[in-house]
Amino acid sequence: MQTKNTNTKIIGVVTNRSTGYYTVSHDGQFTLCSLSARLWKDLKSARQTKKTRHGSRDNGKKNADPVAIGDWVTIIPANDREGLIVAVAPRRNYLARRTARPMPSAHAFEQVIAANIDQVIPIFAVADPAPAWHLLDRYLVTAESYEISSTVVITKTDLVGDPSAERELQMVVERYQHIGYPVILTSVVNQHGLDELRQTLTATTSILVGKSGVGKTSLLNLLEPGLGLRVQAVNASTGKGRHTTTHQEMFTLRIGGAIIDTPGIREFGLWELVPEEIADCFPEMRPLLGLCKFGLSCQHDEEPGCAIRKAVMDGDISPYRYQSYLKLREDR
Amino acid sequence: MRANNYNKNADFTCKHCGAYVSVQKAISGVLNRNHCPYCLCSRHVDLFKVGDRLCACKALMMPVGLTLKNSRDKYAHKHQGELMLVHRCLGCGDLSINRIAADDDPAKLMAVQECTSVDLPNLHDICQAQGITLLSGKDRYLMQSGLFGKPAAQAAAQMSMGC
Repeated sequence: MQTKNTNTKIIGVVTNRSTGYYTVSHDGQFTLCSLSARLWKDLKSARQTKKTRHGSRDNGKKNADPVAIGDWVTIIPANDREGLIVAVAPRRNYLARRTARPMPSAHAFEQVIAANIDQVIPIFAVADPAPAWHLLDRYLVTAESYEISSTVVITKTDLVGDPSAERELQMVVERYQHIGYPVILTSVVNQHGLDELRQTLTATTSILVGKSGVGKTSLLNLLEPGLGLRVQAVNASTGKGRHTTTHQEMFTLRIGGAIIDTPGIREFGLWELVPEEIADCFPEMRPLLGLCKFGLSCQHDEEPGCAIRKAVMDGDISPYRYQSYLKLREDR
Repeated sequence: MRANNYNKNADFTCKHCGAYVSVQKAISGVLNRNHCPYCLCSRHVDLFKVGDRLCACKALMMPVGLTLKNSRDKYAHKHQGELMLVHRCLGCGDLSINRIAADDDPAKLMAVQECTSVDLPNLHDICQAQGITLLSGKDRYLMQSGLFGKPAAQAAAQMSMGC
């Protein structure tokens, strides 16, 4: 095995992450890297630091893990296959969530899902597993809070059977299109909507997020033939996904751009978003902010003269989106 | 669309009279507590179906009258259903029909129709437009039989005739 000069520094992008190890892509090669002692120290101190709920986004050691998928890093290669990450370039943006807590009283950390991304693609299935549209609103609000654009993808449209389910799907599509989010209906079985999705993914770095079993990896297998990623059907008795994908990974697309596949996310808590900022992350509510009787102090819940509640009553804002807003406020 | 799984077991304080209201089934006699048993006021929080909590109006709903539930027996014959309370939203004017709970104040229930017929003279027409037939003073026997049972209603009718 050829040994490289340890003083040579290479810049690459993190494409895979597992406990303590990162795969860095550079010049068409992949190097398995670990963290340098300094970055490891940052990681440990971040875990020991108590964090407040209302913090700025650039407070240094706040991330539980200093390196995320999509990060541009400087590595020192130890040999052809292994190396050491010594520095992380400043992020253009990132997508984070609150870590799942074993109990409500447990302390939560920030979990950076991916960095330097162009668009978030929340994926929801029409059925198997049943869609929870409030979760979609969580993804969209998180993406808005990090100023990342979103495209909603609805999979398994071949499972739409009865007219009532079709009507409900149409309502959901219209709801999000009315706000301004592109919605793509796809089916892996019928290979429907794939061209539209390819156009959306071209020349961008996108991240697929969604519950387990919605078909994120199946879609990726079809978009990029040859990946051969493992997929499984949902559990027939529970109707839930089987968490087949267990790690995040970034793939380069032949059509240009990259896509990050993630494991199914069952819980998506907002991080660093204060209740007063939540309404600003709903594009349809944004123009109405400040027009309430109590101005920017209005919580849009029970206050008289609330412009947002009036818009809901007038049919300009979906009651389901308004309910999601209230739930997110309650959750903070 | 799934209904919002709000906490049905949370007691509440009435927005109108400030009374503490328990939602316990053993006390109220109903599974879903809809209104305050003391002042009979409710809130406009449901939009498409009971418990969806999708309405943004959230204004008070005042009791405006009583009606009988339209129901049919097992042979599909129309028969008088249970006594229902009609609420009208103070914010948007929406009407809703709700079940009476076992612990609702009967005197308040009997008085509802008399008070509102003075305040809202065209209420009967508004309700009729939505297919709700309000009980009037002539239907006192029906109200009493719905609240206290037929023997008590007959006794009350005989007493009033004797007077």
